[in-house]
Amino acid sequence: MKIKNIIITFVSAIAILFSTSVVSFAKVVGDKIILGAAISLTGKYSSNGVHTQNGYNMAVDRINEMGGVKVGGKTYKFDIIYYDDESNPKRAAQLAERLISQDGVEFMLGPYSSGLTKAIAPVTEKYGVPMVEANGASRSLFTKGYKYLFAVLAPANLYLDVAIETAVALNGGKGVRIAQAFEQDAFSQDVRLGILDAAERTGSKIIIDDKLPKELNDMAATLAKVKAVKPDVLVVSGHTKGALTAIRQIAEMKVDVPMLAMTHCDAAKLSKQHGKNSQYALCASQWHKTLTYKDDFFKDGMTYAADFEKLFGYDPPYQSAESSAALLVFKDAFERANTFDQKKVRDALAATNMQTFYGNIKFAEGGQNVDKPMVLFQVMCDDAGKCENKVVAPLKWASAELIHPIPKWSER
Amino acid sequence: MNKNTILYGAILIFGIAAPFIFPAFKVQLSILCILIILAITWNVQGGEMGYNTFGNILFYGLGMYLCASVQVGMFFPLGEWTEGGGEKTFVHTPAQFFQGFAVGLAVAAVVPAIIAGLIGYSILGLRGHYFAICTLGLGVAAGEISGGIEIIGAGQGFTTPPFPNVDRLEARGEFFYFCSFIVLVFTFLAVKAIYSTRFKLVLNAIRDNEDKAEAMGIQTMKYKIIGWMISAFFCGLAGGIMGGLVGYIDSTDVAFDGREMGVFMVLMAILGGKGTLWGPVIGATLFHIFKEGFWTFFLGWQYVALGVLIVVIVIYFPEGIMGWLREKYPERFGEVVDEADRKAQVTLK
Repeated sequence: MKIKNIIITFVSAIAILFSTSVVSFAKVVGDKIILGAAISLTGKYSSNGVHTQNGYNMAVDRINEMGGVKVGGKTYKFDIIYYDDESNPKRAAQLAERLISQDGVEFMLGPYSSGLTKAIAPVTEKYGVPMVEANGASRSLFTKGYKYLFAVLAPANLYLDVAIETAVALNGGKGVRIAQAFEQDAFSQDVRLGILDAAERTGSKIIIDDKLPKELNDMAATLAKVKAVKPDVLVVSGHTKGALTAIRQIAEMKVDVPMLAMTHCDAAKLSKQHGKNSQYALCASQWHKTLTYKDDFFKDGMTYAADFEKLFGYDPPYQSAESSAALLVFKDAFERANTFDQKKVRDALAATNMQTFYGNIKFAEGGQNVDKPMVLFQVMCDDAGKCENKVVAPLKWASAELIHPIPKWSER
Repeated sequence: MNKNTILYGAILIFGIAAPFIFPAFKVQLSILCILIILAITWNVQGGEMGYNTFGNILFYGLGMYLCASVQVGMFFPLGEWTEGGGEKTFVHTPAQFFQGFAVGLAVAAVVPAIIAGLIGYSILGLRGHYFAICTLGLGVAAGEISGGIEIIGAGQGFTTPPFPNVDRLEARGEFFYFCSFIVLVFTFLAVKAIYSTRFKLVLNAIRDNEDKAEAMGIQTMKYKIIGWMISAFFCGLAGGIMGGLVGYIDSTDVAFDGREMGVFMVLMAILGGKGTLWGPVIGATLFHIFKEGFWTFFLGWQYVALGVLIVVIVIYFPEGIMGWLREKYPERFGEVVDEADRKAQVTLK
């Protein structure tokens, strides 16, 4: 009977499915340390998800090539199991659960974005799985008392407050008028909190405070207001799409503003995609290739950037650099712990104090990296229209002087 | 003992034993229960009443936010809990957690049902495509609006209370599994009971010809609203449980997730066969297994695989699996086929 066959096929398919997924990849198989990661390969964070994955992969290959990880007198190599979280927190939490309880992963790497990290952190915490994450900057991640969460990056509220302070200093110490527009997501809203703090500290006034939708494609309404009220600083944050949309529409509408401060300029490849239109944009970054930090694996920022470009064909944004650094932190912690016991690895992670090409890494009680300041760079173009990101603050690493105020569109 | 009792008994036993047989799959099994609830409730409108709604996600999302808010708000100031993306940390004692969750679920069921009643009066006046588009808008609007309400975390999202530490680690998975399984059984029995009354016939009459039903003296609006309220009740419950299970509520990606959950519930009901009691259950189960399989074995191609599945459903099973079975084996569904007459008709052509 036909239906019998169909039922048998279904049942066996389901059985195969279950049995294959039950085969657990214990965290250390033979000479492999298997890390788990849910990454946004599709959905609204897919471009940054790929930056993150590239960063992880490059570091895995490099560490493995250079001798791997030595634990208990034996050499191990890194391997990563990836799943696609579709830029969706619900999916991410589910995948974390799956990586841990089905695939038997005992050490995790973080996903891309604060929202997804917020969804995953309770799961890794519940199972006591140490997670080194490189892309969840929201301040609230570090106040929850999570014991197994370590972030190699500085919290989101520190992204742009330097820009506000710079604007105030250039204004002779008097408060400035700020217009701001932030995407409705955990990261951007945290950047907003940082600006609110900075505004209060410097006596600045916020005259436009807009929220932008996710899947950001249009912010003309905000820009029309900006044109009308002429603020001193315009702050925009909304991941890659936010940066691209802002630059495109500011150029289209010829919005004149003395300072434009943003995030994700390098991830969005602004200087390549929009060329001269992106000129003068001031961007917060966790890392820049010209910084002078060093380590044994990637040497320094410039070498990292060159190697990365050879492999993937584009200049590494900071999302890739910090992701690579996460692997260096894991390697260091494993070797210091000299065991795969999760608690001991966790303690070793907490005691991390090292320099990588990406910056110094030292974790505070809450798990955030407190030893690495943010940098600001400005997109600068030469007459031929070739644009580059140049660090303008902090002064220690500045390779160019901040151009302020931004020339009017009519004079460009 | 008749065949049905054995079947229900077997399913019940399997449901209770499942988390112990597949301990690693508790979360997936819980989500499966939630998906079945959503498919069953969608079927009340889409299948029995002929109103293709995309708006049930509204009740699901509302339930999620309400349950979490009540669970927090009963013991701590909600505004401080969510402030700055949830910077402050409050810890629920086990008693607080469970009490809060129970009350939260009750609110998450009742309030969406009331809201369905209130908005139903105006929206259910629309028909066909207009109704579908209007409800689609409802879900999208709810996502955007909730993303701007500070007290529930706005764009920062809402972290639901973490599960308290009771004796062992696995308790959380089991707790949420049994919550969702019990609600599923409850939903199924309730809908089954409703389908055995005149109410179902009225809904079918509305589907087949609403004007005629009205002309027959049926107060169609009343029945449509009641039907929607029933769906909203169970969708809210499902949402409340899902919120606790995921642990983090985001306005557009988790709560009012019309793009995924909102579409999936329609797809599952259609796959299984809309307008039947078992169709949505079968559809949701197969859909979930397929989806998890694609996500494991076709990483990067999962949406392509899902797309192919949808095409196959539409072309080969336009009436869903139940519809297809019914056509193949009508006698199993209690339909009497006169073989001679059928052959005569076929040969006539």
